[in-house]
Amino acid sequence: MTRRAVTGALSVGAFLLLWQFVGSHQIVSASLISYPTQIVQSMGAMIASGELAANGAVSLTEFAYGLLPAIVAGIALGLTLALNRTVRLLCDPVLTAIYQAPAIAFVPIVVVWFGIGMSSKVAMVFFSALFPVMINTTTGVEGISETWVRAVRAYGGSLFHVVTKAILPGALPSIMTGVRLALGRATVALIAAEMYASFNGIGRLVQQYSAADRAPEIFVLVIVISGFGYACVLFVRALEGWLAKWRLEFEQ
Amino acid sequence: MAARVRAVGRHEPLVLGLIGSLGFLALWQAAASAGWINPAILSDPLRIAHAFVAQLASGQLIADAEVSATEFAIAFAASLVLGIALGLAMGVSCTLEYTLDPFMWFLYSSPLIVVYPLIVVWLGFGFRTVVMIAFLLTVVSIVVNTVAGVRGVDPALVQAVRVFGGNRWDVVRLAVLPSAAPMILAGVRIGLSRTLHGAVLGEMFGSNAGLGFRMTVYGEKIQTSDVFVPLVIFVVIGVCATAVTRAFERRLQSWR
Repeated sequence: MTRRAVTGALSVGAFLLLWQFVGSHQIVSASLISYPTQIVQSMGAMIASGELAANGAVSLTEFAYGLLPAIVAGIALGLTLALNRTVRLLCDPVLTAIYQAPAIAFVPIVVVWFGIGMSSKVAMVFFSALFPVMINTTTGVEGISETWVRAVRAYGGSLFHVVTKAILPGALPSIMTGVRLALGRATVALIAAEMYASFNGIGRLVQQYSAADRAPEIFVLVIVISGFGYACVLFVRALEGWLAKWRLEFEQ
Repeated sequence: MAARVRAVGRHEPLVLGLIGSLGFLALWQAAASAGWINPAILSDPLRIAHAFVAQLASGQLIADAEVSATEFAIAFAASLVLGIALGLAMGVSCTLEYTLDPFMWFLYSSPLIVVYPLIVVWLGFGFRTVVMIAFLLTVVSIVVNTVAGVRGVDPALVQAVRVFGGNRWDVVRLAVLPSAAPMILAGVRIGLSRTLHGAVLGEMFGSNAGLGFRMTVYGEKIQTSDVFVPLVIFVVIGVCATAVTRAFERRLQSWR
């Protein structure tokens, strides 16, 4: 055990104990800050009643429906932009402007366009995930050295071969950076869209419990959403490791 | 002739970018005017310009912009001062860094959007909540980058200041701050866009004033052109903020 891990664990432990003491003895009202054991109880109740599973399933579905097309489209569009200098320069200011604006600012307009149901959430996830993937793909392709492309060409490779044998593997690290950014942005966009207007989903629960001033349940949702965010990070890291191995074999 | 070609080449990104942007607006306007798209839902540039003028004339836009700008300024200034101070302290003292690290890591990696209901419960609906959300989002990125910057300082430099009889403050001022500056500035750039994000988020869900709040009001009434006015302002602020910090970073680099 390193000193960092020990100190960190002690500090988190002390924090939780203090929180428990202050909350359960009502030194600060428990309805404001709750306390750890109460949060665990609430989590048990929310799991038992099935509301966490039912709303989580809705959110996950919206997330998947928006994210997967966004990754595919983002890579395709990013490639197109990187390979056509003129098109890229034409589109650059508009794309950069949209990319740099806070994605959640688009929630009201997307709800006007797609309604309160599932499609506005899918659209928000797609929209917020598309840009990081697209822009990082373009950056990645631009960083590929000419020699790779020339090598494939020298062996008589077509444009298809150049893309699959040189450009995609070469741009992979940058594309994965885009995917990681996309996962984070899409999570926030999805929760925001569900909070803004929806019938179900985790964001809807956040809104419902915050309207009722229910601190323990809000903390449960904080844990659930942060846990999901952390799972995304682990997943991308595993995927990166796996792809790096594939890329290495490829180079040999 | 060659000179002219070279000049066009140098300005090519600017020229093509301008053509692309104007073309985008013209196409949008043409599609709406020709009736290919429903302007009540998608709006068009001229309608948005009219909405902008109307909101400006009524005084609503200025009032909301003032609220948003104040929230943004307070949150950003507080994050800047406290973030760099805390980051320096954590960078200098290992114990402090190890103690706070798990909490910083949690704040940095989890989607803070879910924390907003708690802040509303604690601070009430309105100004203070918006400032707090924007502050929390911003300060973490500045702290994390400052710590990383301090950790990257060359120990020989610190040694040199010590040899010449410098105290702890001299070490920070003469060795740590200058070499950590680029990392800190990168944190500030990320922080700036996070402040904007936090202010929009806080106003949309935890306030009853400001550009973000106004957007939700127009959205509920399905006044698309009116929704676009604050949205365009956010886009412009986002672009300007990034451009300004990028330019600042470049100047710092050349100065170093």
